[in-house]
Amino acid sequence: MESTSTRTPQARWLEALRGPLLQVVNYVLILLLALAIGGVIIWLSGKDPLAAYRALFVGALGKPLAVANTLDRATVMILAGLAAVVAFSTSVNNLGIEGQLYMGAFAAAWVGFGVRGLPQFLHIALALAAAALAGALWSWLPIWLKLRWGVEEIVTTLMFNYIAMLFTAYLVAFPFASKNTVLPGTDEILASATFPRLVRGSALNAGFLVALALVVVVQWFLFRTKQGYELRMVGLNRRFATYSGMPVRRSALLGMLLSGALAGVGGGAIILGFFLRFVTGFSSGYGWDGIIISLLAKNSPLAVVPASIFYAALANGSLEMQAVTQVPSTLVGAIKGVIMFLVTARVFLDYFSKRWRT
Amino acid sequence: MSIAETLQRLINVALFAAGLRMATSIIYATLGGIFCSECGVLNVGLEGLMLVGAFFGVVGSFYLGSAWAGLLVAVLSCLLLSLAFAAVHLEWGANQMIVGLALNILGYGLTTYLLKQMFNTAGYFSSEKIIAFQPLRIPLLDNLPLVGSLLGGHFALVYLAFASVALTWFLLYKTPWGFRFRSVGESPGAAEAVGINLRQVKYTGVLIGGIWCAVGGAFLSLAQLNLFSENMSAGRGFLALAAVNFGNRKPLRCLIAALVFGLADALSVRLQRFGFPSQLVLMLPYVSTVLILTLSSMQRRRLAPAV
Repeated sequence: MESTSTRTPQARWLEALRGPLLQVVNYVLILLLALAIGGVIIWLSGKDPLAAYRALFVGALGKPLAVANTLDRATVMILAGLAAVVAFSTSVNNLGIEGQLYMGAFAAAWVGFGVRGLPQFLHIALALAAAALAGALWSWLPIWLKLRWGVEEIVTTLMFNYIAMLFTAYLVAFPFASKNTVLPGTDEILASATFPRLVRGSALNAGFLVALALVVVVQWFLFRTKQGYELRMVGLNRRFATYSGMPVRRSALLGMLLSGALAGVGGGAIILGFFLRFVTGFSSGYGWDGIIISLLAKNSPLAVVPASIFYAALANGSLEMQAVTQVPSTLVGAIKGVIMFLVTARVFLDYFSKRWRT
Repeated sequence: MSIAETLQRLINVALFAAGLRMATSIIYATLGGIFCSECGVLNVGLEGLMLVGAFFGVVGSFYLGSAWAGLLVAVLSCLLLSLAFAAVHLEWGANQMIVGLALNILGYGLTTYLLKQMFNTAGYFSSEKIIAFQPLRIPLLDNLPLVGSLLGGHFALVYLAFASVALTWFLLYKTPWGFRFRSVGESPGAAEAVGINLRQVKYTGVLIGGIWCAVGGAFLSLAQLNLFSENMSAGRGFLALAAVNFGNRKPLRCLIAALVFGLADALSVRLQRFGFPSQLVLMLPYVSTVLILTLSSMQRRRLAPAV
């Protein structure tokens, strides 16, 4: 304490910057290590890792259009990431984001092609509201079972993923089967329910802006409102929250429902902006990406944005990498797992915080 | 076709025999879950371990020309992954649930990547060179009426699954080693106080858990089916997690849950042949899991009212 007062202003600045700086150094090192591991895998398969990574970068961020497409891919990841942030800040183990995405996507598509005669703004708003409701409803049963009977939500939310995927697959195979599509899916949504595109030649659409707006809303809610504070306190220390008279059970319910609603909106956004109809298997594990993203972002809503863009860049770049160097794009799946391992392990962070303190 | 006739064709000995077969991989993964949670580790990564086991089982069998060699390769690969899980959790204090999820993501990413890289195919890989397990012929048992068609003609691994449950029960509940092992999960403070090395016990538990998951996975790809397909574990690792939760880690109770899930699996396959929409009947194992967990939680609440 006393040493800070005797230090020069520069030293104090360094002190304040140390935390964020450590974080950045930590992530850069983790990224490098993960890429190195991936590089060894590529090299073992007899291909050139540097060429592969160059293609990955060009595909992700090399051209303005590539950047736009990466931002488009990030849209659903941001929303899934927010869903995870809200759940895990409240200590609700929502492992059912993937299923909530599916329910939200279907609800949005249904409103998108089923409701006619609305102006564009209202139609999109209604479709997103339906998506949020569907996602929230899908998360409600697991949390209700938890609060009422103590059924572990870790397991039930996992099961609800499979149930949602199969249920929506059933819906598009029978009651909602479209005659004019090869893939199992619903009819195409109306033009009035489609997010306007932002860049010519890219799928980037207004959904991205909605996602950004929700980032701000969630940040404000979690850190600037009483309810948000309660949610986070319940997550930090349930016993303390109980003794302080906070509504612990209501917070758990609210955290889960908000998380489900955000996931639902994520599913809706990708349908209204990219697929323009519900198709089975539209999500390549975005719900799981969301969980890793919340982890990378350390449960900060604002940090979800860069983390999502990074993940989207990996996903988009991998396609170019496969096209140019024949290194399978699925390699990125393995790299994602490695990154997650390293982030949780705090390998570098612990090492540096010990070193730098002395 | 009358209703009685339909029911008779739907629910018969063959269904239960199929249920046994389909429960086997879940039983093995459940044993993996028991070993993890008995020493206080929640392993959400059972699913990813099974998938990796299934893949490397096929790899081993393909290159070494024997199903048992495939099983061995599967076990080695899962041991390696479990070691990573344990190290990251125990040495660097990573949140176990997150590392478990990482294991699932890594398992899926790694197997789809290697599928493309090693066999240049996407979706699934089957080949005549994948030597599968063969069903056992037990002369006396096979000829018994009813019992023969229920219990006869299974893979050795099916019988071994039940033996393994018994072995697990014996190890954990009837040996001093098991007592010390369980104490780590039950009351880590007390265990440490009497000089038990928590870390060492947890390493052991996670590694043993990995072995069981490998067997469950290899059973999927070398016995139940004779191929590897992407994501073929299809939530069985999560079902195993549910079985452990239902059985409260008691091997016999967990076994019952795993059998029910296997039966639901078999029933869903059977119902598809009767023309029910496959998407709906495939939900059966997952829906029944939620129901069973709810029922058991209700019962637990009633026995021990909430404080």
